[in-house]
Amino acid sequence: MGFCELCRSHDLSIGLNHSEEALMAAQSGFINDSKSFKIALRSIFCSCEEEYSTFDRFFDIYWRKKRHEYMPKTRTRKQTKIIKQTKGSVVLVGSGDEEETKKDGARTVSGANKMESLRKTDFSKVADIDHLLLDELAEKLLLQLNHRLKRRLRASKDGKIDLRKTIRRNLSQGDNIFDLIKKNRKFEKYRMVILLDVSGSMDKYSFYLLKFIWTLKSNFKNIEAFIFSTKLLRITEIIEKVQIDQAMLQMNTNSDHWSSGTVIGKCLQEFNDQYSKKVLNGRSITVILSDGLDTGEPELLSEELKKIKLRTSKVIWLNPLKGMEGYEPLAKGMKAALPEIHTFESAHNLESLMELEKYLSHV
Amino acid sequence: MLPDIFQLIKKLDSLDYVVEEGLATILLLMLKLKKPLLLEGPPGVGKTEAAHIIASYLNTKLIRLQCYEGLDVNSAIYEWNYQKQLLSIKLTEGSELSPAEKESHIFGDEFLLKRPLLQAITESDKAPVLLIDEIDRADEEFEAFLLELLSAYQISIPEMGTIKANHIPIVVLTSNRTRELSDALKRRCLYHWVPYPEFQKELAIINKHLPDINQVLASQLVKFVQYLRSLKLDKSPGIAESIDWAEGLIALGAKTFTKDYIDKSLGVILKSDKDITNIRGQGIDSILNEIEA
Repeated sequence: MGFCELCRSHDLSIGLNHSEEALMAAQSGFINDSKSFKIALRSIFCSCEEEYSTFDRFFDIYWRKKRHEYMPKTRTRKQTKIIKQTKGSVVLVGSGDEEETKKDGARTVSGANKMESLRKTDFSKVADIDHLLLDELAEKLLLQLNHRLKRRLRASKDGKIDLRKTIRRNLSQGDNIFDLIKKNRKFEKYRMVILLDVSGSMDKYSFYLLKFIWTLKSNFKNIEAFIFSTKLLRITEIIEKVQIDQAMLQMNTNSDHWSSGTVIGKCLQEFNDQYSKKVLNGRSITVILSDGLDTGEPELLSEELKKIKLRTSKVIWLNPLKGMEGYEPLAKGMKAALPEIHTFESAHNLESLMELEKYLSHV
Repeated sequence: MLPDIFQLIKKLDSLDYVVEEGLATILLLMLKLKKPLLLEGPPGVGKTEAAHIIASYLNTKLIRLQCYEGLDVNSAIYEWNYQKQLLSIKLTEGSELSPAEKESHIFGDEFLLKRPLLQAITESDKAPVLLIDEIDRADEEFEAFLLELLSAYQISIPEMGTIKANHIPIVVLTSNRTRELSDALKRRCLYHWVPYPEFQKELAIINKHLPDINQVLASQLVKFVQYLRSLKLDKSPGIAESIDWAEGLIALGAKTFTKDYIDKSLGVILKSDKDITNIRGQGIDSILNEIEA
């Protein structure tokens, strides 16, 4: 039981029934061999492959000290001690990077659950050590988002019974109606156009946002993606064909302007001139991912945005800086853009990206 | 290793299924605890095969439900045989039966089409093995429904009442992990991750399937396949593909594992144009050298 508690306190989700099963497993003979016992417990306690390593670590820590002779009554005090010790050491291992994030001025970590706090951590403030962890989490969450979007689209497909067609189809059977024909709402294809700012100021975010685009790609068959900084580059073909890591390489070589300055207005003009007629229509959503720190003319930006707005059904501007406390859209570019956009949201952490779901599913 | 596990491994081995200690332990645990088992892993590592083998080990029936997007209750549990019902209504039209009798007649057992889940529950002689394949392809709604089934082992049909399981079936779920399954479902299952096999195991599997194969050829082939898996391919080859490949090479009359034969039969093991061009571009010779080193 002590072991259950230990695992539970470290992110493995374990219920009462799991403890019970573990005891049952132990009783049915598995306790006699430590390796078999470990495998057995692992299958009960873990619910995905990633948890295996955590489990193995705790199992070793716990049972090495206990030597798997289980005599609960006399050992209770020792057990708690062990738990405390292991807790202490594990927290020490994990806390280094947590503290770093704190120092960097991210939201305070309440000491509860690290994963939870990571979800809320600003991308730009993630310490290097946490990157891997965040990547993992991002993938998991984006997978979820992916799935939820799909479900919504499907649910809206259910239709009402189409009486007229039903009766016509059933005329031949006299007055027995048994062939009901349903009227399905036509599945509306809408196109998503994404413009991602990859200028220097967006450096810390652009990787995650690119990842986000990949997830969206699997939902919207009809997706157009562009990256811009001082010039505009269409990446639709790249994301359609290749995996994300390869694509990153390809894009780096393709665009010499990665991490350079920003001229949003000019890029949007380029977009309007070359692509907008082709890619924008009444059933398209335009998503602009940028911090709005523009070095170009604000008038041009506002004018070009207006053009886009006329052509598309919705303009969503996601600004990573909006996640910062006390942020006001004061940058002149952002200020100029505001009246022309429908939705202005933040995109600084995973949670805010997940929230975007609600805009995407009600178009 | 526990003697029970050792025996199980031996028994399965005699049924031509090579199983390592980890999986054998879990299988034994599943039989002891009578809990559903969730097997996750990349495609082609023998997850489905595990269920088949358990069924033949227990000498019982295997009932398989293949999941797909849009799988609904009608095709998973039961369906009324509407045509037969309509026909029966017409036939009894002139008879003296009261409406209540008619109704109970057309909702009788003979009009019920049993789909896999109901079949598994109503199996009368022996607990069957119920294989729910690729659960990750089914909708979340279906998953939620499964929860009910897996905890109570009963199904309610409005017209007939609740049907309880005669024997609790042995349930094996498999998933390729195209999406995360719900925590609630995972909580009810034992979990085992089935990885790609290690060199020795894969070699043993190939030997099991093709006892006459040239040993040098087999071990080189396995090395080659294992090397392919270490690359980032669009589609990594599974065990089934290695076996196919070995079979293919034998069919081509290959005695040795040379570039010529590999090049000809690359389509057996790699299923994407991009992967094939990649491997050819890399040079089969250089790969052969590398795995020999």
